[in-house]
Amino acid sequence: MEHANLAVQILLPLLSVIIVLTILTARRRQLFIRRIQGLTAIDEAIGRATEMGRPMVCSIGLGGIDVPTLQALAITSYIIRASARFNTRAIVPISDPTAYPIVEEAVRDSYLAEGRPEQFNAEDIRFLSNRQFAFAASVAGLIWREKAAACFYFGLFFAESLIFAETGQQAGAIQVAGTPSTTQIPFFIAACDYVIIGDEFYAASAYLSREPTLLGSLVGQDIAKGILILIVLFGSALVSLSGVLGNTWGQTFIQMFK
Amino acid sequence: MSGLFQPAQGGAWYIRIVGALIVSAILLLALMNVPRRFRKPLIGLVTFLGGLFFALEFFLPTHPMPTPDSPDQVGNFLTPYVVPFGNIAQVIGAWTVGLGVINLMQVHGRRLLKGTSGAFNSAAFFLCMILMMVIGILYRVHPNAINKNLYALLFNGALQSLDATMFSIVAFYIVSAAYRAFRVRSVEATLLLITAVIVMLGQIAVGQWLTHALPKNLHVEIVRDWILTKANAPAVRAVAFGLGIGGLAVALRIWLGLERGSYFEEQG
Repeated sequence: MEHANLAVQILLPLLSVIIVLTILTARRRQLFIRRIQGLTAIDEAIGRATEMGRPMVCSIGLGGIDVPTLQALAITSYIIRASARFNTRAIVPISDPTAYPIVEEAVRDSYLAEGRPEQFNAEDIRFLSNRQFAFAASVAGLIWREKAAACFYFGLFFAESLIFAETGQQAGAIQVAGTPSTTQIPFFIAACDYVIIGDEFYAASAYLSREPTLLGSLVGQDIAKGILILIVLFGSALVSLSGVLGNTWGQTFIQMFK
Repeated sequence: MSGLFQPAQGGAWYIRIVGALIVSAILLLALMNVPRRFRKPLIGLVTFLGGLFFALEFFLPTHPMPTPDSPDQVGNFLTPYVVPFGNIAQVIGAWTVGLGVINLMQVHGRRLLKGTSGAFNSAAFFLCMILMMVIGILYRVHPNAINKNLYALLFNGALQSLDATMFSIVAFYIVSAAYRAFRVRSVEATLLLITAVIVMLGQIAVGQWLTHALPKNLHVEIVRDWILTKANAPAVRAVAFGLGIGGLAVALRIWLGLERGSYFEEQG
């Protein structure tokens, strides 16, 4: 079992407190959030699918019930709500069976929230396979057969990311992707129209919903990142200085993080 | 209490299986009858308690807790329960596999009955599922040579090969994606192309031979290493920092029930 070292015992509670405090204070203030191109493109893609009268495919990746998948589900819920308003069909393929009931419930709630419960079709929430490449083949086939006009890839992706994105590209779909899997970001950039990178993925729900709690959380994240940048700069300076002076301060500092 | 988490043998194993099924059925019925307005607070409470357990186990001071498998293990009074609690998630996951299979059977069953365009694929699905299930059960119950070979034929011969085929397709997709990405359309795309050419040349012997006459710092493999370790790695780590903090923020919001506006209620 892994346990917290000294640096984690100090930093994690500190950053957590900062994030929670900014969430609580943000509820009383109007906050600004910069434009994120990839997220603005979601509406464009939904509009295109609506104009073409063709369905959209929203994949939440291979994750089960974990933080990235829940975040992907939050973005997907927004897409479903928008698609419900425009009466556009959205298909959600699922790989992990543990996520299936949660996704089904979230999608049903999204249609209900827009006052269109009759549009909910349980068959559009499809568990395909929990085997990576069987799922990849299924989603690729789904994109081709349904002639998807827009494809959204938000969540955890691995080697299947390029299979999805290239199939969507060949099918002529407008594609928007966002993933915390840093190794898959280049593939999405090469094959998708818009990609949200890094922590923009976690900023997406705040950007889309404009809820004060989520916006406050973003401010907390920025402060936390600032602290980490300061630590990196301080560490780099200390290690360099230790090298010049010939002492062990730098090594002691590094050991705190191991 | 901890005895409940120890493996059982013989009659006790059957008693526990039956007991677990009865308890699960009662729990499932009780959860299905929870009024809608209490569902989210209930989910929030279970999430908070689960998160609290793992957070305390991670943060509380540790002391040596050697086991026969890992003599160097350290832990605290909560550590012995981490694996059993993790198993609960696996058990819940196992239940949901059934839901997934039901969903598949509904979709394909309806398509087969209607005889629509995808009916042939749906028939193939049922055939493969039933065949794999029957052979799998036969292999477990009677592991003789015939069943073993049949299972190997289906699993290694068919399923694994199909997986490998799909994975192989990635190679071709990489070429077509790279062609689009490397087209010289802007300054950024040109920089990407130059960088990619250097890294690719640095990976192969021909590239290294091409620059072997140049000063050492201009050898393509040295430049490649510089790009990967001094330019690429810090950028990826910076992205990872942002992702880590973002993940922490989302996890905190979910754990403390502060998540709003997506699949949770709006603030208005």
